[in-house]
Amino acid sequence: MIGGAATVVAAPAVFAQERALVFEHIFGETRLTRPAKRVASLGYTSHDALLALGITPLCVRHWYGAHPNGIWPWAQDRVGEDPPLELFGEISAETLAALEPDLIIGLGSGISEAEYALFSQIAPVLMHKPEFGAYATPWREGLRMLSRAVDRVERAESVIADVDTGFERLRHAHPDWSKNTAAVGWHFGGQTGIFSKDDSRTQFLMELGFQTAPGLADLNAIDGFYATLSPEDLSLLDTDVLLWISTWDENPDLVDLPMRRTLAAHREGREVFSDHVLSGALSFNSALSIPYAIERLEPELIAALDGTPETIVPSSQKAGLTK
Amino acid sequence: MAALCLIALALISLFIGPRDIAFDSFAAALQAYDQYDAEHVTLMQIRLPRLWAALIAGGALGVAAMVMQVVTRNPFADPGVLGINAGAAFFLIVGTTLLGRADEAFVAVFAFPGAALMALIVFALGGGFLRDINPIRLVLAGVAVNALLASLLTALVLLRQDSLDVMRFWVAGSLSQATTRPLFEMSLIALAGASLAMALATRFEAFALGGDMSQGLGVRPGRVLAGALIVVTLCAGAAVSVAGPIAFLGLIVPPIVRVLSPGDLRLGLLMSAVIGALILLFADVLGRVILSPLEVRAGIMTALLGTPLFLWVARRMSPGQVS
Repeated sequence: MIGGAATVVAAPAVFAQERALVFEHIFGETRLTRPAKRVASLGYTSHDALLALGITPLCVRHWYGAHPNGIWPWAQDRVGEDPPLELFGEISAETLAALEPDLIIGLGSGISEAEYALFSQIAPVLMHKPEFGAYATPWREGLRMLSRAVDRVERAESVIADVDTGFERLRHAHPDWSKNTAAVGWHFGGQTGIFSKDDSRTQFLMELGFQTAPGLADLNAIDGFYATLSPEDLSLLDTDVLLWISTWDENPDLVDLPMRRTLAAHREGREVFSDHVLSGALSFNSALSIPYAIERLEPELIAALDGTPETIVPSSQKAGLTK
Repeated sequence: MAALCLIALALISLFIGPRDIAFDSFAAALQAYDQYDAEHVTLMQIRLPRLWAALIAGGALGVAAMVMQVVTRNPFADPGVLGINAGAAFFLIVGTTLLGRADEAFVAVFAFPGAALMALIVFALGGGFLRDINPIRLVLAGVAVNALLASLLTALVLLRQDSLDVMRFWVAGSLSQATTRPLFEMSLIALAGASLAMALATRFEAFALGGDMSQGLGVRPGRVLAGALIVVTLCAGAAVSVAGPIAFLGLIVPPIVRVLSPGDLRLGLLMSAVIGALILLFADVLGRVILSPLEVRAGIMTALLGTPLFLWVARRMSPGQVS
């Protein structure tokens, strides 16, 4: 005990470095004695941030979709020699311990405080800050947090700058988009809904310069990040460009949805269909998925907003939303 | 009286909803349907199919429940006991997991065969093909199969996020998908089941008298029970294909009918169909307006309405009374 105190007193440089590796979060405080090398990723999307920093995690959490090792296409080429283990369902502490991590990323994992305490006995666990919801840490914030833990702060800044340049390029190339409204909708299980203004998918379109649907701010998003609309009235979705998010590559129910045909966005060819991977990219909203989404969406948005209903929006045509 | 209520409520259901519709729109929609007119779409593609679905699903469930309770001599027997809902759900989720589809056409193909196959399995396990047939054994086999399917389902949806999404929308039965469900086919199936029930009604009554008494009346228990199984499978299977599992309806209809019209089972079956349709339609209309513009699914409303009704029935029932 005395020896330990003496070490701290005798080594102020180390102490300063330790100070930098203190993380305040929802369940308290996590301290790292040195930057992590073996990282277990438990967040549903946190592995993207690690891969962007050049670190292949020991494990990734399966969210949805069938992709090799749980890594989606936009991040595949970042995976190192040892591909991560894909964890399904509840996390087994035993499996986690067997990976021998020196850091566990609980950011965006939704684990409970009890699980946090249990996993902390295996390795230090990073959680989200109290001001954000369990799944709502902004990607820049999350990336910066992880970059400190793995000592790649500068790399994080350059990654963020690159993504921001991508947004900037589109805003610059399409200044008229700032005069347009955009909405992100979904149709699943017989219900149609709209993503709220704070949702990452809506935020993505706002970063491209678009305005949100009029009335979206007043909408009572009872479901949190999205709101279910009455099947009798989908007018909130009737914006200058309507982006449909779909878990599947095909969405016959959306194609057949009779009320969709009453929307001006449909009649005037301003619908864009986001397939499985593109919707995944928008839902991941990570440093790696955003550039992918920008690249795929740009031509679609241009076609939708060119002012002539006759121009075919490729994704809409492919999905059968327009003939 | 009940039939008049049903007709009145059916008309009301066409004019109640989040979207206000002028009376003359209805005539216009019938004469010259305009697929770009939101009022026309609401009437013809949303409210009419919903009304139709409520009538089929409610009526068919009422008949299935009545037959089920008479034949098993158990006032708590619900068509769900035969594994109909669980079978439909299980087929649907396994299909979704294996084939990666969850659209309405897919639901239509899987729900009814799943329901029918599971009813057959329960019938076989319950000794339905043996000479010594016993309703109690049938119910016990149903309970066992339901428990097994429930745990298999839980295992599947815990592993697959997309299966969970399908499940959570489907499991709270609803009429909001009526537009895309196989209404016509299921109407024929339900009608066939109900006609068979009417034809066999006197034998069901004799069978319900039990052992020696029913045999004295020349009833062959195996055949009667097989007939009952076909009725319940056709009717409840049609209902689950159209509306998903509707909670409580099967439990509350027969006791109400017994209070309103004790005696002749044929009249009882007719009453069951009317009362079943009436309750489901009422639940749907109420669910549409209670939190408008949000909708409460019909399956949730029937449970909310049904619980107090069921408790009232249970308190009135004297122990040992059969029907």
